[in-house]
Amino acid sequence: MFAPIAYGIVALAVVLCVVAVYYVIRDRLIDNLVVVLALVVEAALLVQLAIGLTGVGRIDDGAEQATYIAYLITLPLIPVGTAFLAIKEKSRWAMGSLAVGAFAVAVMTARLLQIWSFSA
Amino acid sequence: MPDLPEQADRRALGGPGVVLVVVYGVLALAATGRSVLQISEYFSRAPLAYLLSAFAALVYIVATVSLARGGRWVRVGVVACTIELVGVLVVGTVSYLVPEAFPDKTVWSHFGAGYGYVPLVLPGLGLWWFRRVDRSGADVLSSPESAPGPGRG
Repeated sequence: MFAPIAYGIVALAVVLCVVAVYYVIRDRLIDNLVVVLALVVEAALLVQLAIGLTGVGRIDDGAEQATYIAYLITLPLIPVGTAFLAIKEKSRWAMGSLAVGAFAVAVMTARLLQIWSFSA
Repeated sequence: MPDLPEQADRRALGGPGVVLVVVYGVLALAATGRSVLQISEYFSRAPLAYLLSAFAALVYIVATVSLARGGRWVRVGVVACTIELVGVLVVGTVSYLVPEAFPDKTVWSHFGAGYGYVPLVLPGLGLWWFRRVDRSGADVLSSPESAPGPGRG
């Protein structure tokens, strides 16, 4: 159950990142489409957090486990934080930070998947 | 620049700074969370590496706060970024020369390879940004109507 959600998050985060980059290029500010996309990513990340925490026990390596838990908890903060910034700042750069945040979500989730599959 | 007072208020956050705040924030959160777990659960495994991780995480938090607040924090931020730069270069070098000292990856080992070399690039960007803020800040502060407002956020 964890892997499908994580793959979905990577895909969604990439979409959010591409859309945000497009907005930066066109100099468009955050609108409903971006907010909804960010919220979808956020919801998926919260589900991933819940499911992921129940599976902590299967990761044996201590260092990997630390990374895994830290990333699980950090991830849901990113879309909320960057979307909040983009709404507050209303600038091209704030949209850029949303894109960067979405990219970080994709990379960190991919890392979670890596840890998860290695400990299978 | 017609909107100077506003810029005085948000000068560290506006423009490219906001992207830096996000990158720093993410790194600070991830590094802090990881080092808290490392120290509380497996400290004996690699005390030096874990303490270094915790220290690095702390520096990232300070840099994030400095970037977000600006003003007086700029000087603090410059120190934090300098420590980061020295840290990533020294630890990066040592981790290649004495690999057994770093059995687990830390933020700074192997020049931040585990984090896509972001820790290597970031202090440079941070220092560049603080320099810019510092210069524009000097201009802004010399105008009388830009009394430092209450901190944001």
